[in-house]
Amino acid sequence: MPMPALDIEKIKKEIIDSQLWRSVFRGGLWKDTPRDRAGHIIGNVWLHLHPVKVRPRALKWAYSWGMGGISFALYLLLTITGVVLMFYYRPTIGLAYRDIKDLEFAVTLGMFLRNAHRWAAQAMVVAVIAHMVRVFLTGAYKKPREFNWGIGVLLLTLTLFLSFTGYLLPWDQLAIWAVTVGTNMAGATPVLGNEGPLGSLVGMRINNDVRFTLLGGTMVGENTLLRFYVMHCVAVPLVVGILLILHFWRIRKDSFSAAPYEANEEKIDVWPHLVKREYIGAAGTTIFIMIWSILQNAPLEAIANPNVTTNPSKAPWYFVGLQELLVYFDPWIAGVVMPGLIIVGLIAIPYIDTNPKGVGYYAWKERPFANTLFMLGVVMWFALIYIGYALRGPNYAWYWPWESWFMNKPAPPPTWSVFGPKGVGAYSMLIGIPLMGAIASAWMLLPKLIQKELDGKKTMGAFLGLLALWAGVGMAMGKMGAIQGGYLLFFVGASFYFGFVLPQRHIRTLDWPRYLVTMVLVVSTMSVLLKMCANLAFNIKYVLTIPAISMNI
Amino acid sequence: MSYRKAFIVSNALMLASFIWAFVKDFRAEWRPYQAKYYQMSADVLEKKAAAEKDEKKAAALKVEARKMRSSPMEIKQIIANDLGRFDRCVTCHVGMDEYTNPSLKNDFKENPYKSHPKIDEALVKAHPFTKFGCTSCHSGQGLATQVEPAHGWVKHWEKPMLKGAHIQGSCVKCHGDFENLKGAEIAAQGKKLFSKTGCQGCHAINGWGGVVSVELGDIADKPFERIAGYNFKNIVMDGKELKNEHHHNEWNLQNWILAHLVNDPAKVTPNDPFAHYNAEPIPPSGMPDFTQELSRADADAITAYLSGMTKEEVIPHRYHVSAPPAKEPALSGAAHGKFVFAKYGCQGCHGLDAKIGRRRFNAAGEKQAEYDEKMPEKEQLAQMNLGEEPTLPKLVGTYTHDELIHKIEMGVPASDAKKWSPKGPMPMVYMPAWKGKISKQELADLSTWLRSIAVKDESGF
Repeated sequence: MPMPALDIEKIKKEIIDSQLWRSVFRGGLWKDTPRDRAGHIIGNVWLHLHPVKVRPRALKWAYSWGMGGISFALYLLLTITGVVLMFYYRPTIGLAYRDIKDLEFAVTLGMFLRNAHRWAAQAMVVAVIAHMVRVFLTGAYKKPREFNWGIGVLLLTLTLFLSFTGYLLPWDQLAIWAVTVGTNMAGATPVLGNEGPLGSLVGMRINNDVRFTLLGGTMVGENTLLRFYVMHCVAVPLVVGILLILHFWRIRKDSFSAAPYEANEEKIDVWPHLVKREYIGAAGTTIFIMIWSILQNAPLEAIANPNVTTNPSKAPWYFVGLQELLVYFDPWIAGVVMPGLIIVGLIAIPYIDTNPKGVGYYAWKERPFANTLFMLGVVMWFALIYIGYALRGPNYAWYWPWESWFMNKPAPPPTWSVFGPKGVGAYSMLIGIPLMGAIASAWMLLPKLIQKELDGKKTMGAFLGLLALWAGVGMAMGKMGAIQGGYLLFFVGASFYFGFVLPQRHIRTLDWPRYLVTMVLVVSTMSVLLKMCANLAFNIKYVLTIPAISMNI
Repeated sequence: MSYRKAFIVSNALMLASFIWAFVKDFRAEWRPYQAKYYQMSADVLEKKAAAEKDEKKAAALKVEARKMRSSPMEIKQIIANDLGRFDRCVTCHVGMDEYTNPSLKNDFKENPYKSHPKIDEALVKAHPFTKFGCTSCHSGQGLATQVEPAHGWVKHWEKPMLKGAHIQGSCVKCHGDFENLKGAEIAAQGKKLFSKTGCQGCHAINGWGGVVSVELGDIADKPFERIAGYNFKNIVMDGKELKNEHHHNEWNLQNWILAHLVNDPAKVTPNDPFAHYNAEPIPPSGMPDFTQELSRADADAITAYLSGMTKEEVIPHRYHVSAPPAKEPALSGAAHGKFVFAKYGCQGCHGLDAKIGRRRFNAAGEKQAEYDEKMPEKEQLAQMNLGEEPTLPKLVGTYTHDELIHKIEMGVPASDAKKWSPKGPMPMVYMPAWKGKISKQELADLSTWLRSIAVKDESGF
């Protein structure tokens, strides 16, 4: 008897039409019609945060870099690996380190899991920053997306905080000293920290200030580990999740992409055109993290010992740039004011950038000021991270990559302060405070007050000429070396160009409130360069110091 | 590449990398060792079965062999709760695992298969593995299941396995009476040498001894972080330089202690006598050069003794064996004075039997040339090295009995020293105040003895 022919189509139809299948998956047999595709997005709780249709320009990898999606893929990856790791980890100082060793040596795939979690966390920091850079460069934060950009900045901050809280959990030397460096900066918060300016005036002590709240003690210990664990595993992910929903929902409501409309543009279906791209991005990320985790083990040093400080002690890499600033600034500036200004400044950008051009496409020529200053900030952030991470050795001395850390380095030369108890002049502070105020205000106001647009090349040439003259005279008098002259030309020249010439040319016409906020951000960025110059070339520790209220600038 | 292809390729790659991760995890280092042990033991059992004439016994042996061959691959561990040890060493060293090898004996010669040596001796019998674990005596990283990490030959493991005689330091941890213990002879010899050489004159142990240099009661816990890397690379041992690599296999505490005994410590820790890197000059290690007095074996013995000096390890009190206080010989007068001199380690600085003072960096003395600022640094360093502690017989004759007692009681602060190079560092070594540490009677006898060995000039003084 011949075998009855198998009618696959019929079986398929019967399965799909069964009550069980119908109850789980809505919609009928897939016919690949626009209606089917729309139904796929609308009828699925996971996919319905997408719009049904999207403009083809928004899908280009070269436009979006896929970094937002990859950041979210990493967030999911971190959630999954993190939850599995929680089965093996107990947050007490007696057990935490041992549990990590167990993961490394005894748990099946334990090492792989830990590596994946660690590397995905590092990758997420990079991906989120890259996402921000892309959104900035394509002007996608402009009206009506200002608020969503702000949520994005908060998400970036929370990503860093998530990574930072996780850094402590292995409870090894790397962990406690990195967290000690990081949290000590909190102790320097103005008013709220015991070492910060004005802190002692309002009664801040080591055991009641903001650092104490963060650590649950006066030093990194058992309470800190528990606090960081709860923040890392429960509190912060919850907040991040809520903000993510808001972030995605806003993207959808704001028509998904800022890419401008073109004539005769026809929207295309999200299923499959966007979904397939998202899938490939997420899969590629997963593969990348998996292979990285197989080839490279996460670091684990000796068990934490509060009595033995590692030399050098470094913060997690994404905060090393701020740590590097500690060489030039007191902790309240490097650890609190600067990061605060960065966060507030980033959130403020959509509200102070009134340039209507460059929304949804790369437009360097149409937005020269915004792009230059933003990218300068990004480059400075990563340059400082590179210096702090790769070029700083024992005692935080400068070591080139080819130099052994066992080489002794001479102690840095003695430093001095310009205005302060031992500064220049008899009434140093009395001169210094108004003088610095005058210089700062003049700098802020001058670019707008000069009504006519200056010739950039001529102005820059004249200024550099003056600087060169100063350096030349200094060298001739034997008071300055060639290196000092070089520092002077580079740092002061750069500050003048980015802090004066560019604002004068481009934001002179801004209204006063927006202009002033922009200038505060610009001048603070330049002050970093200027202070580096003062320290490197002239060994100046503080420009102004008022010891009575721990106020050093 | 179309997205359809990319979809298939990426899925395949995800699956492949997961399998790769799993295979890598499955091929753990310990597996081949354990598998080979089961095989070798099964072979031995089968041979026995073949040689056995009694059929019943032969059958039983064969069953045992089959069981052995199909034993499950597993991480084995000894949990010694009292001592806080979780030792997975027996995962590879299966012959030392009581559950797999209840007799704890086998005929294998090679590590990691062989059984524990001297298994029948009292020393091993008194320390059952299930109670003490492995690392209580041997050190190393008990939690690890890979060769290098388990033996502690990796970065960031502070206590690698103790090698050779140094393991006797582990006896010292619990046994206060280790000097009379069979098996701890080398550590006992180390203690004797420590005292004979006068180390306690500068280094106190658990509060007993001088305060010139670091207390050694917890020296075995010294963190690597506290040993400066640039010092470690100066160590020459058995004719070769140690590796200049942080946390290398050779970078361990035993080598650091040895370095002070088989090298001139001033060369190991040269510091900064000419203030090249610091605001003030910092003298090299003040420890005298003992390379002439101590052989390599002597140095190893002292190292073994000091390897037991730990405070970090939590050892319950019931594990401790205390010793009665050592009896002192019944002596009196000058003979007792000579004994007191050695008892408090005066010879550490003033030489055995007070014969000749040891090095005191940058102290002005008779052997040195006139200080000259223009002298090259190398020669200046050699001159500074010629500074000496007082050679007592030449000195004590100028004191009366009471003056001498007073001098020993009060000590001599470092700042009293006359420097050879005024720009050089303050001499590190000084005479501590012994008041309250040396009893009145001991002091009197010490003074009597010292005055009896004073060099007398022609007039009799």
